Amino acid sequence: MIRLLKKEMKLAASPLSYLFIIFGLMAFVPGYPILVSAFFLCLGLFQSFQAAREANDITYTALLPVAKADVVRAKYLFCGFVQLCYFALTAAVTLIRMTVLSEAAVYRSNPLMNANLVYLGFVLLILGLFNGIFVGGFFKTAYRLAKPFVIFIVAAFLVVGIAETLFHIPGMEALNAFGFAYIDLQICVLLLGASLYAALTLMSMQRAMRDFERINL
Amino acid sequence: MPLCEINNLRKTYPSFTLSDLSFQLNAGRIVGFIGRNGAGKTTTIKSMLGLVHPDGGEIRYFGLPFARHEKQIKQQIGYSTGAVNYYPKRKIKDIVAVTRMFFDTWNEETYREYLSLFALDENKMPAELSEGMRVKFNLLLALSHKSEILILDEPTSGLDPFSRDELLDIFEELKKRGVSILFSTHITSDIEKCADDILYIRDGKLVANYPKEDFRKNCCEAGETIEQAILRMERGASV
Repeated sequence: MIRLLKKEMKLAASPLSYLFIIFGLMAFVPGYPILVSAFFLCLGLFQSFQAAREANDITYTALLPVAKADVVRAKYLFCGFVQLCYFALTAAVTLIRMTVLSEAAVYRSNPLMNANLVYLGFVLLILGLFNGIFVGGFFKTAYRLAKPFVIFIVAAFLVVGIAETLFHIPGMEALNAFGFAYIDLQICVLLLGASLYAALTLMSMQRAMRDFERINL
Repeated sequence: MPLCEINNLRKTYPSFTLSDLSFQLNAGRIVGFIGRNGAGKTTTIKSMLGLVHPDGGEIRYFGLPFARHEKQIKQQIGYSTGAVNYYPKRKIKDIVAVTRMFFDTWNEETYREYLSLFALDENKMPAELSEGMRVKFNLLLALSHKSEILILDEPTSGLDPFSRDELLDIFEELKKRGVSILFSTHITSDIEKCADDILYIRDGKLVANYPKEDFRKNCCEAGETIEQAILRMERGASV
């Protein structure tokens, strides 16, 4: 599997997939819907799928001495790796905002979503939706990209919209907590996001392996 | 025991059916798989390589079912589906560096030998190669690990007559080294030149499966060449 991950990184990946990891820094931007950065990261991954399709990467990989299921696992592994790098970056920025910058006026007066553990939970949900909707949808045909990506865009922006709205509802202001206020709630939302990410990714990967086994390349 | 055994292979598409195809590839033989475009050669070969999911039948290599021993079997066979059509904008050396990681039996010396024979420049990208050179690059990858079987889909298509002749000579040389080859083609002269056995497919059905001399006895009328016999059969005469 490590060899397949190397193959993904050396041959199939678009440089944009790596470049867009820096969108994790957008959590520093005040007055901006920072959750959109997770969508940008997915846009970079989409570029890799597009480049790989144009380069007949799936056929090349399927001809290597690997099981067909491993071709699917490798794509998920690559996405997981890039997502992990992005998440580590944006989590680091979030921790800075929760500690050193928790009292910064520019963030305190920000009408949009604050960078806290709730934000990280929603980030994981968006990444999980990408794996579940887009990557899983891609492996139904191993060449159609547009339809699953459009569905993912709708789902991702729905999540962004919901996340930006929720804390404006009376009684739910705690979701936009600063620093370590309401930390129990913040941790719960983060864990929920992590669980949804894991469930969406694993369920989608199992299904993609079954679908890919039946595909004619 | 045959090196490769196909039993009752079936695949149905909306407008094409591959019907109960059965044949064997024996050690030290070159098998020419001939048929016109759309006859089912590529579907058969892709099924043999796991790229197409067959509706029925069994594919065995070295006595092992392909479906359950795919990884192990692919280590021992070389394959090429025409010209390289992947990673057009990556350098040959980068594609090779990745490919060699997957083959336990990759032989750098053999690789260098064929690289030189095929006059390929490692610093070029597939997009910069002619069709014929891209066929050679695919063959180079197939030959660089110790394959006992080579399965090649139309390896001579797009090659100039000199390169084609050179390639068929390489087939003969590989046979001497104990490699068995199955290659599909629609060029009958390739079959005449180097095949030991002939598989002739028409409309998804195997019409003839004979050693070359038996094919001549059973399928060619007096004074007919293999090409003339196949043309006659294509026009509707029965075997």
